[in-house]
Amino acid sequence: MEKKANVPRRPIWTGSLTIGLVNVPVKLYPMIYDRGISFRFLHKSDGQPLKYQKVCTKDQKVIPWQEVAKGYEVTKNEYVIFDKEELEAVKPESDRRIRLDKFVDYFSVDPIYFDRSYALMPDKSNDAYSLLLAALEKKGKAGVGRITLRTKEYPALVHTYKGALVLTTLRYAYDVVDPQGFEELKKLKEPEKAELDLAVKIVTDLSGEFDVTEYKDNYKQKVEELIKKKLKGETVVVEKPVEEEAKELMVALRDTLKQLEKK
Amino acid sequence: MSKKLTKVEFTNLNKTIFPKLKITKSQIIEYYIKTAPKMLSFLANRPLVLTRFPDGIDEKGFYEKDAPQGTPSWVKTVKIHSETAKRDVNYVLCNDLDTLIWLANLATIEIHMPFSKADSREKPDLVFFDVDPEPPATFDDAVTVALLLKEKLDGIGLESYVKTSGKKGLHVIIPIVGEHVFRETRAFVHKIGQQLAKEQKLVVSEFTETKKPGKVFVDYLQNSHGRTMVAPYSLRAVPEATVSAPLEWGEVEKGIKPTELNIFSVVKREKDPWKKIFENRQKLKV
Repeated sequence: MEKKANVPRRPIWTGSLTIGLVNVPVKLYPMIYDRGISFRFLHKSDGQPLKYQKVCTKDQKVIPWQEVAKGYEVTKNEYVIFDKEELEAVKPESDRRIRLDKFVDYFSVDPIYFDRSYALMPDKSNDAYSLLLAALEKKGKAGVGRITLRTKEYPALVHTYKGALVLTTLRYAYDVVDPQGFEELKKLKEPEKAELDLAVKIVTDLSGEFDVTEYKDNYKQKVEELIKKKLKGETVVVEKPVEEEAKELMVALRDTLKQLEKK
Repeated sequence: MSKKLTKVEFTNLNKTIFPKLKITKSQIIEYYIKTAPKMLSFLANRPLVLTRFPDGIDEKGFYEKDAPQGTPSWVKTVKIHSETAKRDVNYVLCNDLDTLIWLANLATIEIHMPFSKADSREKPDLVFFDVDPEPPATFDDAVTVALLLKEKLDGIGLESYVKTSGKKGLHVIIPIVGEHVFRETRAFVHKIGQQLAKEQKLVVSEFTETKKPGKVFVDYLQNSHGRTMVAPYSLRAVPEATVSAPLEWGEVEKGIKPTELNIFSVVKREKDPWKKIFENRQKLKV
């Protein structure tokens, strides 16, 4: 049985929802986890972890972090270069407010625009919170506003989910492909009526309730089983990272220390 | 691995020290680590003289008697007054593996040691015969002389030990009890040398004759306070990265090529011919 995602301990954002003159202080918690199985790259022969290094493409030298700048590729192989400070200066100011200036039917927003959902919790504002929650539940509506998280501003929906207020960030219209751009669609013909009736019947017959808990990541399960099996056998123990080049010396050293101990 | 294996922080491991064989400092350190179990007992409590080549043996190296600046506090040193320099010299003592590794990390190639220990400097525990061929005399001539010398010492009931110098000669050693002074060991070596010179034309034993071409000089003068020999298992600062390698007499008889005893071959040798040398201290009949 798959374990439920834990309730996170720390909010990633605090601020308030404002509707006209009403203020509802809230805390924002992540709600979505991508719980795949993650692997680390190891050196095949000795099982030690590999690390990434930034290497200059010209002379293959490893470049320390202080010497790294950001470049925007203007044309192929031509960049405009930015300091960290320059980009910092134009970062959007994190407005601590989510102004809800419009309420819409939750289901009128196509899920294709849904980006990521966050739980909104009252921040010493129980009364105002439960009032807003009750009103949205009653009308089946969602508030529309915008929120700035880290360096990005998102359109957002504030809606209800299982007796809580949830904020779902939305994608920008220009970030979603309009399928009408595909040539294939232009060649489609209207189906014959008889065919359509049959198809509709099949769909009706197969209609049912959707239960997301019926779905499991089979690949993940198989890998987890493999991990369990391997744990019973031998695992590769990670040594404390020694300076890469001193590795052979450490091997010799260990051997010599053993010999000296015997003496 | 939570425990640190050594106190030494390695530096410049990829620096080339022997350019002809492309040997890096890392390999020098590895050599001394691997050799330590055989080598350390010879160095213990002896004020050492080092030759260091931080920029490789093709560049100028330096002799070092004084412990260098930045010597860590865990490295043992001993102050000895130098008559010639008119000051105290702070010598390094290498009594443990960490110190040996530290020396190697300083690009120390050759380690030279005196014939007495720091706490009894006037009383040697080693008698030293430096068998040194003067061209066109060759290493093989040195072998001939060394074998004669061994025979002579055997004849008076003294067991001797042999090593290559790592250059062109051989070193023959007798471990002795600590009741003789340098004057006595020097006189002993001189006397044996003179006897050999009488019996074998190849041999000279007087300092004035050392540069006679084609002769093998048995140097007795080294048996003095403050003089040193290259330590057993020390590397030599020559392009072939040879080692001053302890040998069995049998190996010397069979014939050896000193250049083949180098940084690579010596660590592979199972033999430890000088292992029991300090258990075999003998009395000189002066």
